[in-house]
Amino acid sequence: MLEVKNLNVSFNGKKILKSLNFKLKAGDITAVVGESGTGKTTLAMSIMGLISEQFSNAKVSGNIFFNGIDICTADRNQLQQLRWKRISMVFQNVDNILNPTLSINSQISEIMPGKNNDLKIKNTLARVGFPPERAVAYPHQLSMGEKQKVLLAMAYILEPELVILDEPTSSLDHHTRNNLIDIIKKMSSGRAVLILTHDLDTVRKLTKKTIMLYGGSIIEAGDTEAIFSNPRHPYTRGLLRSFPSTDRTKDLQGIRGKPEFVEEGCPFHPRCTQSINICRIQKPPLDEYEDRMLSCHRGGIIPLLEVKDVSKSYNGLDVLKSVSLNIYEGETVTLLGRSGSGKTTLAKIIMGLLKADSGEIYLDTRQVNKWDFNFYSRVQMIFQEVASAISHRLNVFEAVTEPLVIQKITERKILEEEAKKVLSEVQLPADHDFLRLYPHHLSGGELQRIVIARALILSPGLLIADEPTSSLDASIQAKILKLLNNIQEERGLGMLFITHDLGVARKVSDKILKLDNGIITEERIK
Amino acid sequence: MKKRWINYIIAFFIIITLNFVIPRLLPGDPLSAIYGDEVLLNLSDEATDYINKLYGLDKPVIARYFIYVFSIFRGNFGYSIYHKKPVLEILISHLPYTLILTGLSMLLASISGAILGIESGWRRGKKIDRFILSSIIFISGFPAFFTGAIFLIIFGIILGILPFQGAVEAYSGFSGFNLAVDFLKHLVLPLFSLVIVYIPTAYLLTRNSMISSLKEPYILFARAKGLTDTRIRYRHAGRNSLIPLTTQMGIHLATGLITGALFIEIVYSYPGMGTLIYNSILNRDYPVLQGSLFMVTLLVLIVNFFMDIFYVKLDPRIEYAY
Ligand code: SF4
Repeated sequence: MLEVKNLNVSFNGKKILKSLNFKLKAGDITAVVGESGTGKTTLAMSIMGLISEQFSNAKVSGNIFFNGIDICTADRNQLQQLRWKRISMVFQNVDNILNPTLSINSQISEIMPGKNNDLKIKNTLARVGFPPERAVAYPHQLSMGEKQKVLLAMAYILEPELVILDEPTSSLDHHTRNNLIDIIKKMSSGRAVLILTHDLDTVRKLTKKTIMLYGGSIIEAGDTEAIFSNPRHPYTRGLLRSFPSTDRTKDLQGIRGKPEFVEEGCPFHPRCTQSINICRIQKPPLDEYEDRMLSCHRGGIIPLLEVKDVSKSYNGLDVLKSVSLNIYEGETVTLLGRSGSGKTTLAKIIMGLLKADSGEIYLDTRQVNKWDFNFYSRVQMIFQEVASAISHRLNVFEAVTEPLVIQKITERKILEEEAKKVLSEVQLPADHDFLRLYPHHLSGGELQRIVIARALILSPGLLIADEPTSSLDASIQAKILKLLNNIQEERGLGMLFITHDLGVARKVSDKILKLDNGIITEERIK
Repeated sequence: MKKRWINYIIAFFIIITLNFVIPRLLPGDPLSAIYGDEVLLNLSDEATDYINKLYGLDKPVIARYFIYVFSIFRGNFGYSIYHKKPVLEILISHLPYTLILTGLSMLLASISGAILGIESGWRRGKKIDRFILSSIIFISGFPAFFTGAIFLIIFGIILGILPFQGAVEAYSGFSGFNLAVDFLKHLVLPLFSLVIVYIPTAYLLTRNSMISSLKEPYILFARAKGLTDTRIRYRHAGRNSLIPLTTQMGIHLATGLITGALFIEIVYSYPGMGTLIYNSILNRDYPVLQGSLFMVTLLVLIVNFFMDIFYVKLDPRIEYAY
């Protein structure tokens, strides 16, 4: 029905849309999701054929086929035939989107061919839940919700084949929004509908397919359900994480940095925590990837650690029975279990402190055979007993830089620099006085931060934290958890969090695994 | 709406007061205007007093002010010493000419200025726009009497196709249809001179607001709706661009009437308020001067009032502003 082929739009030479490709089918509701400024509205304007007419500084290349007609090359006459009659649009409900000096009724009737349309206008207004007798009103006399309904009625009244909705639910309160979602659903059956929005709630409730847009490029596309339950692109995951929703318990996390304009390479690379060299140079193609389309050089969020069928028994007692788990970049997996359930055993096996009876461990998709220096610079562990983690004979500086010294990095200047960096990351002072303090000078919360700083100094990809907050007061615990969340957002750190506390688990986790009788079951976070 | 009424009443009183004060600030006194300086110098004090009393010039200023205000409400604008006629009668014989001249020219100028402005703003930056814009800015540089004089010389004297003196041919004995034709012929030159004077304001205002209207979201929406260009241009952009014009025209009318009509009437010896005011200044004919200034300002006030009503019709949001 609609096919967008290699669509490029630039304003004054600045590329706003970059080789977009997608198709819409009649009957499907598709979302284009992206933050403001990612080119959603430009896309809508392009499909309406309004770009070159409205903006003299715009350049469009590529094709938009609508039932065989190429909108990009169609002449004005053809466009006039398409507009509203076959493709309509619900414009973003901004000030003055409706002409302030004309009544609602006259603004609707001017799109209708011929006369005597009163009945049809009445019926359509009633269908969207707008009292038809109010059609004599002027736009300024309507509420936001009512205006939105008028815009909807206008878009659907000629029964077009394709309807584009630009942020149809933003700036509305919760109740009105849900009401509108129902109306849109009802009015849309049988048509192709494209919803441009940043409101993920609307997307989930309304659409079947989702296209994720970032920096003018499609980065992920597929079934809404699949994308929401299992985002593969780091940006998609970041966006989902930053969106408040009723069925998420993890603290809100954002995406590091700000959207910036990227000329070359992956549009997301300045903010991506797993970007590699090629990301800066080459734009990743949009390729098919299992159940979806994905544009990432690394195949989406990379797996950091894979534990496959690990078993362990002590004296004939099976502590771990063929357990498996995966941790992805930037993800927190919690291992939840009573004491003695084998949590710590598993952690020790991962760390190479215990040997498994059977099973394999992969780090960065390579099997781990020996636990050497390379391994420990990628995986660090924070232990339960804070006090014992740091020798009381070392001062702050020595404790924090110890891992570097073990790696034979001894130059004082480098050590100091690194120590200051990680200390400020865990929000501790980094002045000379503080560096010279000994553990007995510090509070429990400060000590825990030092332990975290020490774990971060080698820039590991994965942090294993065994009950890191169990010995702390509730208020300090909350601060440490928040800190870990922030560090994760900034570094894209993977985390294996070991706890017996479900409340804590819910606050920090993307995934909760329950270890019971040596078997892992996944707990749905609801 | 109530507040607006109060505003108009206050404005009305300010006008009356100014009307009373301003003519008295002019140099010279009425007696010397009537009798000439030489006669006055030779007049005995008693005789001067007598004359002053006769015309009410001996009373204190405040008393004269109240007498003035009350008589205005009774429709009594006084008696012209110079014309030896009641002022009202003089005003009534001059007013219609000015009404027709300025009313018609304002109307024509507004309509043509608005259309030009809409078309020009729609084609902003294109050749036609630039041509119209620069010609109108050129025209607007001329003072009113200059435009009038040029028209008079070209069409009246050089080409000789149109009369340029008075409102009708004197002593022609025309009546009925012929009189009407004669009247219209006399109207043409002053009318178009005035239209030329008024057009730039109307045009520039409309063009400006047209340009900003065209940036409004509802214009994009109108395009998307597949409406024709003409419809977008006039019904959506144009209509809204007239809003500033209606408010501004009321204000410009004041200056327009005084500078425009006054000078043009003088240039063409057109027997309207302009000529009347001019003559009464020359003759220090206070009562007539006061009466005509009063009429003119009242006119401005009335026009503004109608503009206000029209404005609400154009922009339904305004009702709420009050
Ligand atoms: S890994 Fe590279 S290609 Fe993939 S999202 Fe990150 S920066 Fe883009």
